[in-house]
Amino acid sequence: MSFLSVRDLHINLGEFYLNGVSFDLDRGDYLTVIGPTGSGKTILLESLIGFWTPDRGDIYLENQNITTELPEKRQIGIVYQDYALLPHFTVYQNIEYGLKKKNSHGMKEKIHEIATALSIDHLLHRKPTTLSGGEKQRVALARSLVVEPKMLLMDEPFSALDPQTRRDTRVLLKKVIQKHNTTVMHVTHDLIDAWVLANKVAIIRNGYLVQFGSLEDVFTRPQTSFIADFVGATLMEGTVYAHHDGVTVVNVNGVKMKTTDPGNTGDSVTLAVRPEDILISKEPWPLTSAQNHIYSTLSKITCEGRTSLLSLNAGETIFHAVITKNSLERLCLATGDKVYAIIKSANVRIVHSHLNSPRPFGSDRDGRDQVDG
Amino acid sequence: MREVAIKHRAMRINVFKVVLIFITSFITVLLVLAIAALFMVPDIKDVWESLKSDEMIYSLKLSLWTGFLSTVLVTIFSLPIGYSLSRFQFFGKGFIKTIIDLPVAFPELVLGLCLLLLFGNTFIGKIFDSLGFQFIFTKQGIVVAQFFTALPYASRIMKSTFDYVDPKMEFVSRSLGYSMFETFRNVSLPLARNGILAATVIAFARCIGTFGTVLILAGGTYMKTEVLPITLYLNISYGNMGMALTSGIVLMIVSFMAIYVFERTEAAL
Repeated sequence: MSFLSVRDLHINLGEFYLNGVSFDLDRGDYLTVIGPTGSGKTILLESLIGFWTPDRGDIYLENQNITTELPEKRQIGIVYQDYALLPHFTVYQNIEYGLKKKNSHGMKEKIHEIATALSIDHLLHRKPTTLSGGEKQRVALARSLVVEPKMLLMDEPFSALDPQTRRDTRVLLKKVIQKHNTTVMHVTHDLIDAWVLANKVAIIRNGYLVQFGSLEDVFTRPQTSFIADFVGATLMEGTVYAHHDGVTVVNVNGVKMKTTDPGNTGDSVTLAVRPEDILISKEPWPLTSAQNHIYSTLSKITCEGRTSLLSLNAGETIFHAVITKNSLERLCLATGDKVYAIIKSANVRIVHSHLNSPRPFGSDRDGRDQVDG
Repeated sequence: MREVAIKHRAMRINVFKVVLIFITSFITVLLVLAIAALFMVPDIKDVWESLKSDEMIYSLKLSLWTGFLSTVLVTIFSLPIGYSLSRFQFFGKGFIKTIIDLPVAFPELVLGLCLLLLFGNTFIGKIFDSLGFQFIFTKQGIVVAQFFTALPYASRIMKSTFDYVDPKMEFVSRSLGYSMFETFRNVSLPLARNGILAATVIAFARCIGTFGTVLILAGGTYMKTEVLPITLYLNISYGNMGMALTSGIVLMIVSFMAIYVFERTEAAL
């Protein structure tokens, strides 16, 4: 059995609920849970830690059913977005708090070790109210990690931090997590958290787990258009025009898009393309393995730090590509320019537009068969 | 040019704001005058003589003693009431909240009457009687009357205080291995200390000032169940204004101190 096994979890708290959530994690897995606000992500965390008792379903941790176990017996740590540091304690006392309960030997050494690893050893005498957001978050992490929990849950731990602090904290967290081989479940809105930290991703929507899998799987093979949209892909509605030699040709408003995903001629499908999978060229580029060369007009350039988001119009179809600022300057791109968007057919995914309504994870097979078959 | 500027500035005055500030100031002035009258009207010699009188010393001692005892009881009971109403969802919570708050809206005389009937000939009265507690026309009755009058005020403040304590801190404490009670002791209680102090101070002021409930349950007997509000009432009836005003001044000073401490602790919350 897996390290953590969640089976058919149902919780109804009125405004928030979970419906039949099931998934498994192995020891050392780092799962990011992504979903819109109010989708049930925090309830999932808080039910794992024991603050809510499920109406139905079971939670197994190391083969033990902990569904009705008291939170203090589960040995699962939690880190919140707003840190939840105890303001009447110093940083040292906050970190010491959990160790004291465990009557742990060598408390002082453990506290200094984790404080050094998270670069907060110079703050130990301070009160939490005098710390910056990033420092508070590292103290909260230290407090949870120092007791060596079986599992660590994090509820949007970086969302209150500025981008630079967020990047630094991510790096520190990754180091510490890897060192302790901690199993982590991390709720986030920031897809970069998933890319940098996670090996597994779960997408939750309206209380349903709509997709669960490896990072690669979820980001490159979104199973619904909602997921594709959520993970940043451009969606295009079209009709399957032909299917031969393992390539499906889809007519998207007159533009022929080729994909390696199977499809039946005449089917209405939704295609998903991730902006980072699109190459931009000012000249035709015939000697390439990529099968999609779409002649388009550059309608808008949005600079986002070191990258730029290009909006491309090909007939009535609009899609987006991401290139570096360096490439933008090298190609001397400007709005109105005619460019070729080059996409490998393997990077054009057929997603299931008819699965837009939330469905429990596990029933996707049926949906896929309808499209693929 | 200058005239235009002045006109412009005059137009920016918000009439709504001015009216509200005027009403607030007017009522404040009236209150200040009323309070000042209490201090200005009596002769200082009369006040001093009244303060030294046996009746006043008895009344003051009894007020402080019963007030202290009822405040301790109110604090002990309002703490779990406030915490449970703030934290837990349970059957009948809304009903319980209404019932506990009810004495706030009750006239004190009616509350006193209810307690008089309860501790009179009912089986509850008999149970307490068999345990050696007699509340009707006794000093013990003063404590009970003050307790039931002050409890809803303290419970409300306690509930608001615990509402302000972030439940996530308690969640974290429990995830670190502490039980619900240990978490309450280590986290909730220290974080709520200012609110608990505020509730205690308000409860004390309310206890000291309880009149109607004490009068009905414990009676207003001279030098027996005579607390400060009863002293004021009895001496007004006799026409002894010096004693009446002195007890009023003492009650006012206690209230002032209570509100001052309450405001300070509320600001620190």
